[in-house]
Amino acid sequence: MLISLLQAIASGVVTGCAYALVALSLVMIYKSTDVINFGGGEMVMIGGYLAMFALLAIGLPYAGAFVFAAVVAFMVGAAFDRVVLDRMLGRALPGQSVLVAMVIATVGLSYVLKGLVRVVPYTEEVRRLAPLFAGDPVFLGPIILQRQDIAIVVIAVLLMRAWWAFFNFTLLGKALRATSQNPRAAALIGIPVRAMRMTIWGIAAIFAAMAGILLGPKLLMTPDMGSVVILAFAAAIVGGFHNLPGCILGGVVLGVVQNLVGLYISSRAIVLTPFVVIMLVLVLRPQGLFGGAVVTKKV
Amino acid sequence: MLEVQTISASYGSVRALEAVSLQVDAGGIVCLLGANGAGKSTTLNCISGVVPSARGRIRCDGRDITGWAIERIVALGIVQVPEGRELFPALSVEENLVLGTWLHRRQRNHGPEFERVYEYFPRLKERRKQAAGFLSGGEQQMLMIGRALMARPKYLLLDEPSLGLSPLLVQQLFEIIARMHRDGIAILLVEQNAKVALSVSEYGYILENGEVRLHGRAKALSEDPEVHAAYLGA
Ligand SMILES: Nc1ncnc2c1ncn2[C@@H]1O[C@H](COP(=O)(O)OP(=O)(O)O)[C@@H](O)[C@H]1O
Ligand SMILES: [Mg+2]
Repeated sequence: MLISLLQAIASGVVTGCAYALVALSLVMIYKSTDVINFGGGEMVMIGGYLAMFALLAIGLPYAGAFVFAAVVAFMVGAAFDRVVLDRMLGRALPGQSVLVAMVIATVGLSYVLKGLVRVVPYTEEVRRLAPLFAGDPVFLGPIILQRQDIAIVVIAVLLMRAWWAFFNFTLLGKALRATSQNPRAAALIGIPVRAMRMTIWGIAAIFAAMAGILLGPKLLMTPDMGSVVILAFAAAIVGGFHNLPGCILGGVVLGVVQNLVGLYISSRAIVLTPFVVIMLVLVLRPQGLFGGAVVTKKV
Repeated sequence: MLEVQTISASYGSVRALEAVSLQVDAGGIVCLLGANGAGKSTTLNCISGVVPSARGRIRCDGRDITGWAIERIVALGIVQVPEGRELFPALSVEENLVLGTWLHRRQRNHGPEFERVYEYFPRLKERRKQAAGFLSGGEQQMLMIGRALMARPKYLLLDEPSLGLSPLLVQQLFEIIARMHRDGIAILLVEQNAKVALSVSEYGYILENGEVRLHGRAKALSEDPEVHAAYLGA
């Protein structure tokens, strides 16, 4: 009994780390552009397929597949901003908001990516990515973890560390934060605001795509696998949607809660978990579990 | 020399500027006065490339910069300190300042720029690790000017720097503005506080409903009976 609880928590933490990456991607975009990216799930999906393409068609090693997927995902995210969102903003009259239209454009992005990915082979049948590390499972006391699980946690943590260092210690990272806090002031000291927004979209796409590669061996890969994004939305809402560390914790919480629901309630209830969590948090604690008061100002 | 030649600008169907011309010599100090809504901020935003001008030209040191992107205009040395408290609130004072060096970030050493800013505003040095959002109104104004100085302005455009400051702080701020001018930075000062603005300026323009109503040497303007009645109080 206790062992199955511990096991459920441990594997919940593992998938939670991947959800956290996707949540980071969503919140990064929201904080700097106010846009909720409904194409986030499809960015996860293309990450998985790009890696599969790199491994099977190009014959790259796994490290190469990560780099290939990151580069292409960056270009997809940045191009979407440049070609679609930037034009929408450019055509808006001063003071006119095109936010709703921009959010709808992200729904469009999700369909475009779902359609485009079918150009790549491997989408006609359900597949899995090869695990990063094959081999016997690892025993942590009574808990069994696959090597892939450990790789997920390690890589997710490394990515988050890199993300944190980038935004706190590099001038480009600071310029990106400055632009999201006050684009007007950033422009007036010569920071190219449009290029910054494009960069944020690119980086956010990388984070989603990396989650896709990490989840690829665990989930069944189909062009519809982007639906995992609902877990990331729930994670971000648990974290308060403004609070980046909060949404990382939110990801882990979601992974664990999902497994506990499967263990104690019913495996059929698992798919409902994110919806129930979203409703509960929005009704009872809209500022998120880790935030203080309701945040209205962007920080 | 920074020259604005008969520019017009509008927001949708609202005409904000009509054939406004003005000029700031290299190293000069000029003020642009007028009531709320006269078009002062719009003038600065046209110069900075934030708001497009429908007609007219803007020239800087012989170059026609009309229609240039904001960052190219900043790179030329025209730096605006906007109205209000336009900071990066979650970044520290030091981080706000270092972002001012964005356009010449390839030169690694920004020590001299930091020193210059801390010399004008010693208060910022004491608070350099604090988040900008926690500064007082006066300190935030100093930080905005400091951040603009980090961008190495040749022409500094100040939009109502005295807004919301106590009379004592306004006086200290204007002493520093005069010092920056003596140190060779040309200043275009937008103010509603005509008295203090004219006292530090060499030349002045008065805007009314988007048009230049009057202009002349600061001394002459402050003695003009019409200006006196409308802007300097009884
Ligand atoms: N973003 C805007 N949208 C529409 N009208 C504006 C905008 N900014 C300024 N205006 C209008 O343009 C005119 C000039 O404004 P502004 O340049 O801000 O004046 P000032 O800085 O002298 O107070 C005013 O009538 C104002 O209402
Ligand atoms: Mg104004």
